[in-house]
Amino acid sequence: MLHRLFDFVSSLKLTIICLSAALVLVLAGTLAQVNFGIHEVQQRYFHSLLIWWPPGVQGLKIPVFPGGHLIGAILLANLIAAHLRRFRWSWEKLGIQLTHAGLIVMLAGGLFTDLFSVESFMRLAPSETKNYSEDSREMELAVIDESDKDLDQVTAIPEARLRKGGTIEHESLPFRIVVRHFYQNSRLQPLEKAPKDAVPAATEGVGSQVVISEIQRATAENDRDLVSAVIEISPIPMGGEVTSPSLGTWLVSDQLGAPQTFSYSGRKWRLVMRPERYYKPYSLTLRTFTHERYAGTEIPKNFASRATLIDPERKENRDVLIYMNHPLRYRGETFFQSGFEKNDAATVLQVVYNPSFVAPYAACVIVAAGLLFQFAFHFAGFLRRRKKAQLQ
Amino acid sequence: MCLGLLLTCALFTACQKKEEIKVYRVSKAEPETSVSESPSARGMPPAAATIESGNQMTRGMPPAASSMVAGLPPPPTSQVTGTPPSNWESQPLSSMRQLSYVVKGQNGALADISLVILAGSAGGVLDNVNRWLSQLGQPGITEGQLAKMTRHQQSSLGDVTIVDLEGLPQGADAAKDGRIVAGIAFADNRTFFFKMRGNALLTESQKEPFVRWIGTIRMDAPASAPGPTAAPAANQDNPPIKWDVPGEWKPVAPSSMRYASFAVAGQDGESADISASVFAGNGGGDLENVNRWRAQIALEAIADADLKALIIPVACKDGQIFTVDMNGPKSRILAGWARVAGKSWFFKLIAPTQLADREKAAFVKFLQSVQFHP
Repeated sequence: MLHRLFDFVSSLKLTIICLSAALVLVLAGTLAQVNFGIHEVQQRYFHSLLIWWPPGVQGLKIPVFPGGHLIGAILLANLIAAHLRRFRWSWEKLGIQLTHAGLIVMLAGGLFTDLFSVESFMRLAPSETKNYSEDSREMELAVIDESDKDLDQVTAIPEARLRKGGTIEHESLPFRIVVRHFYQNSRLQPLEKAPKDAVPAATEGVGSQVVISEIQRATAENDRDLVSAVIEISPIPMGGEVTSPSLGTWLVSDQLGAPQTFSYSGRKWRLVMRPERYYKPYSLTLRTFTHERYAGTEIPKNFASRATLIDPERKENRDVLIYMNHPLRYRGETFFQSGFEKNDAATVLQVVYNPSFVAPYAACVIVAAGLLFQFAFHFAGFLRRRKKAQLQ
Repeated sequence: MCLGLLLTCALFTACQKKEEIKVYRVSKAEPETSVSESPSARGMPPAAATIESGNQMTRGMPPAASSMVAGLPPPPTSQVTGTPPSNWESQPLSSMRQLSYVVKGQNGALADISLVILAGSAGGVLDNVNRWLSQLGQPGITEGQLAKMTRHQQSSLGDVTIVDLEGLPQGADAAKDGRIVAGIAFADNRTFFFKMRGNALLTESQKEPFVRWIGTIRMDAPASAPGPTAAPAANQDNPPIKWDVPGEWKPVAPSSMRYASFAVAGQDGESADISASVFAGNGGGDLENVNRWRAQIALEAIADADLKALIIPVACKDGQIFTVDMNGPKSRILAGWARVAGKSWFFKLIAPTQLADREKAAFVKFLQSVQFHP
């Protein structure tokens, strides 16, 4: 049984199936961008194990096709298994084996990059200092305990958890959060401008003055969903009994500018829906942002950010220059000069954490070495045979 | 096999990570606070941020939503007024606090005073008193103990239950903590929490001014509040509704949260208070509302399982109103509710038992005459 399984996993048939499935997936994903947008398609088709149907609906769904991660993982397993099965040490085969090893490293690196890399952005206005970057595609509900006079304790609940709904309890929170409704993309409207029979989004805070409605997901490349949720802050029952009143329902949304605070257990709390944040043990302060254009045009020639990097732990305090193709690499993260805002009001740095960033470089070197060796080996053989023929 | 396991673990770990709740501490003096952040650019990916023309930041956001970013409605404006003592200093209001003051004593002593209004029953008196006791590091009390430590103050909101609690929680600053004097009132389907917490001696000295302040609290009726008409007309805030008012019921000026109020006189100066209120949404759970009404007539709370047996539906002209009839030791509540077009209507009669007995038939007739969509 195991032998048959190993035969199948290492078979060329499986390779063909995977490559065919990958072709279909790419075609389907490309077509789906019309309705879902590139980011959603990446998540749903390529960064997933399975593609579920119907899309974007809560409740019962069925898997209809393998996703990019599954196809990639099977292809990787297939390649390794084939490699193990057919591996015979000989100088003659070394080039081919190196090339396959390079492909394995590339596939594994791609998979691990998909799974574990984090991309975020740091927007800095001149003289502004930040010690965090943000992922504008993923929101988080930050429940902030502001009681301490020096430090805020942040409990960050990711969008994916809010989307799941239900009750959220966490040891850092003395209350529980019940997700009453999650809106992947929403529109807010002041209650006074809404139709007469409209119902406020929530009973407390700004939400009691606002009407919310769900709208179609944003699909254009530069658009993004405006994520909102209606949550209820309620006490954790002790011994089956509720010992204090519910604090009502609250609307949390990235569109809300007004802070929302409440008191519970003698502590002051703040609710914020915001882009997911990645705090760092160091900070960057933007000193200058340079934006050069080709003479007489608006075409960017060069844009660069000079910033001060301060890391108290490592006693770093130095100026760094980040510009196109010259990123800052620090503590495993890479800061690329990514963009800028209108009228050069701020610079935008792309911050990438990729633990397997070496994999593609290593894979290219291994594949190149393999191909070179294979070519050289065969070329040497050809020369030998030719010389031999000439001698005869 | 090992590779398969490794891949499975990696995929599983990555999936789990997406839903992982993170907890961390950050300094209040966050670096980003030094320069204000343009809300229009907040969190946009660079693809959008680099575009130099057009309002890309609000693309994909419908006009109404875009305007919300800049022009959010302010936190609910307070319709509550009162006359605080001259030595109390006003504090900024939060979304929870309708009124907020601080009073300062000697040697850094402080007491914080607030009025918070919550929708629905908000847990009742005993639960809230026990909550405050826990804030002071004290054990909870029973209903019997509560009865001995409360006093009552009349205000425009009706009866206010006042408690005085002492205790210094572990690690607390005695200059700012050690005592809570609080009042709870239930009116118009809301619970009003008056609370003063701070240094024990300072709080003691401010106790009587605090109680007097509660007596001065008024709910300002909004300009659009309906007048005391027997058949109120539709206005901007409330939907149209019609009913027939029994002849003996006299219209009373409604408060800000009552759609209409009526009174009917009984013997020995007794009177029955009849109200109709409307709220957006579901107006709290049925069990919560019923238990809040029970608390108002000194009845114990019931469990969810017992609620069904208590509810009697009454047919009105274009729908159904669910009613309960609860008889306490001294008074009786007849209440009805209906949820229509995203709003919740509440009708309530509270009166001494004999008067409520007399008015029950009129109240039921009143409910039967209700027409939500005239």
